[in-house]
Amino acid sequence: MIRPPSDPQEPHVALVEEWNASEQHHKVVVQHVNIQGLGRTKEDLLGYEISDVFNAKNLIDVMKKAHIARQRLLRLGIFKEVEVLIDTSEGADALPNGLDVTFEVNEIKRLTGSYNTMVGNNEGSMVLGLKLPNMIGRAEKLTFQFSYGTKETSYGLSFFKPQPGYFERNLTLNMYKVTGQFPWSSLKETDRGVSAEFNFPVGPTSHMLKWEGVWRELGCLARSASFAVREESGHSLKSALSHTMSIDSRNSAIFPSSGALLRINQELAGFTGGDASFFKEDFELQLNRRLFWDSVLSASLWGGMLFPIEGKPSCIADRFYLGGPTSVRGFGMYSIGPQSEGDYLGGEAYWAGGLHLYTPLPFRPGRGGFGDLFRTHFFLNAGNLCNLNYGEGPRAHLQKLAECIRWSYGAGIVLRLGNIARLELNYCIPMGVQSGDRICDGVQFGAGIRFL
Amino acid sequence: MSLAAEAFVSQMAAAEPWPENATLYQPLKGEEDQILLSDSASSLAVQTYLRMCGLPVQVVCRPNAEYMSPSGKIPFIHVGNQVVSELGPIVQFSKAKGHSLSDGLDDVQRAEMKAYMELVNNMLLTAELFIQWCDEATVSQITRHRYGTPYSWPLNLILAYQKQWEVRRKMNAVGWGGKTVDQVYEDVSQCCQALSQRLGTQPYFFKIPTELDALVFGHLFTILTTQLTNTELLERVRSYSNLLSFCRRIEQTYFESKDS
Repeated sequence: MIRPPSDPQEPHVALVEEWNASEQHHKVVVQHVNIQGLGRTKEDLLGYEISDVFNAKNLIDVMKKAHIARQRLLRLGIFKEVEVLIDTSEGADALPNGLDVTFEVNEIKRLTGSYNTMVGNNEGSMVLGLKLPNMIGRAEKLTFQFSYGTKETSYGLSFFKPQPGYFERNLTLNMYKVTGQFPWSSLKETDRGVSAEFNFPVGPTSHMLKWEGVWRELGCLARSASFAVREESGHSLKSALSHTMSIDSRNSAIFPSSGALLRINQELAGFTGGDASFFKEDFELQLNRRLFWDSVLSASLWGGMLFPIEGKPSCIADRFYLGGPTSVRGFGMYSIGPQSEGDYLGGEAYWAGGLHLYTPLPFRPGRGGFGDLFRTHFFLNAGNLCNLNYGEGPRAHLQKLAECIRWSYGAGIVLRLGNIARLELNYCIPMGVQSGDRICDGVQFGAGIRFL
Repeated sequence: MSLAAEAFVSQMAAAEPWPENATLYQPLKGEEDQILLSDSASSLAVQTYLRMCGLPVQVVCRPNAEYMSPSGKIPFIHVGNQVVSELGPIVQFSKAKGHSLSDGLDDVQRAEMKAYMELVNNMLLTAELFIQWCDEATVSQITRHRYGTPYSWPLNLILAYQKQWEVRRKMNAVGWGGKTVDQVYEDVSQCCQALSQRLGTQPYFFKIPTELDALVFGHLFTILTTQLTNTELLERVRSYSNLLSFCRRIEQTYFESKDS
């Protein structure tokens, strides 16, 4: 009986070297592939993931394909553990070189729940989460989150269904209510919406098509809000179709040392109903390259444009914002660009670029362990945000985006949190500051998922 | 607002004279009729008051005027960089700028004026809200459709129903929840009788036009000129001839003369 190593890092080669060399190329036939331990999961779903094991020609192949099949079963998100057993065939129809492969699986519980309390920003809230993985047996997932706070309540219900046999093609249906407060614009926003999202890969790219219907309610955060923001208060309905294409060849999401990311997103609102009517385009590009001595040079470029359709002015909730510890560092949060009485109104076009040099901490403390979570970085950020008059030509637009560029430089320390988020503590020197921008020169702290 | 904040705002208001570009915001009126009876009455009352004071104001219609207002009520004025809504606070605001109509009254008369203004607000305004949001015929034929005009489906229905529930809750809170439409018409008649008796044969309620005249004119004139599902309300008001001539007089003095 052979049990391939369950830890994928361990090389197969060491195990195999124990064998007689001729046996490696001994032809085998996989006669049966079984899955044991199924409860509510439907077998036809798993057939696709494990079918490739039948094509193995020799023992090494069987082990490799069984390992890949195990990874595929785990990525469905419906099993806690998967173990693989390879044994010689038994039974009446057993061939002399026949093998039986058995996957022993342990299904995730039918219902998992979580309960947290959160305190922050003068508000306390209670968050309840419920998850039903593998609801009907084909890796569907239903998630419900409810947050009850002293000021606002919000909730979200989400249903995820992958295509059997093709997990990367999946459909997600959402229903949600979220509230947000934006002190830089003295604005508060409540969104109640439904959305349907379809993901599918095409070659190396992954695509997402989404329809979203949102009832947006905007209001002033304080009585002292500027009149420009007060004019945007009220209700509107946005019904939008969007498409996102992304290619990600980076070797890590947080501190990549090689590879590139390109993400392009289009959104068209108004042709499927609703009040909001616009076409929005934005892109994100990041390139990484390892240099001498474990340092990494990273360049990123963001940009976007919003075209209102049918002459309706754009809404403050659709416009782009720039500035802050996650964007052009050295400036206040979203505090660049058009503003009225201290409230930032956003802009219809923007671009932002960053050049970073990441190095390990000087003298490398805690190397191989805790110290690897940190990096020092030296950065140069630049960007611009403005409104365009779409009557003028593209040349006038480029000129407008190129004048009055805000930029900043500095250095700091970055900490990785898990594989999703990072914290930064930087010393920034903002330059090219225009009147109306709010700066944060000196030490700036930032936490988030997406950084320039 | 706390007393200290009120005093501060009054001081800020007093600092600047009334500008030329003061604007009054109300819901859409005209081609895309969104404005309802009660809002139209309140807006006309404020416009009349400002004309009586001789303060210029430009009327701007916005579909989201109700949400722009700091108190959620129509109308509101944008003067300089201050925003004030509803007749009461607007009277205070203009007083801080040195314009007042009721300065010539003594304390007894001023108390009487306040009492009658309360009567109009509690009776006439509540009756208008009741008729347009709690009377099934009016709600389904006129109000819901008008209220949701600027929005697309299904938002127009959602907002109209939401507002209807809110007004119904308010009616229950003030004890009008169980009334029938006929009882409300009776209340309107009684209110008009009280106003008619007070007015008598005088041109205005007091020796000079005051904010009470503006308020009464705003409500009565709007009732007389708005088409509802039936003419019951109109007839009740029309039966008091001195109130009719009062409305005509104010209209001629402050509205028609300005146009010429």
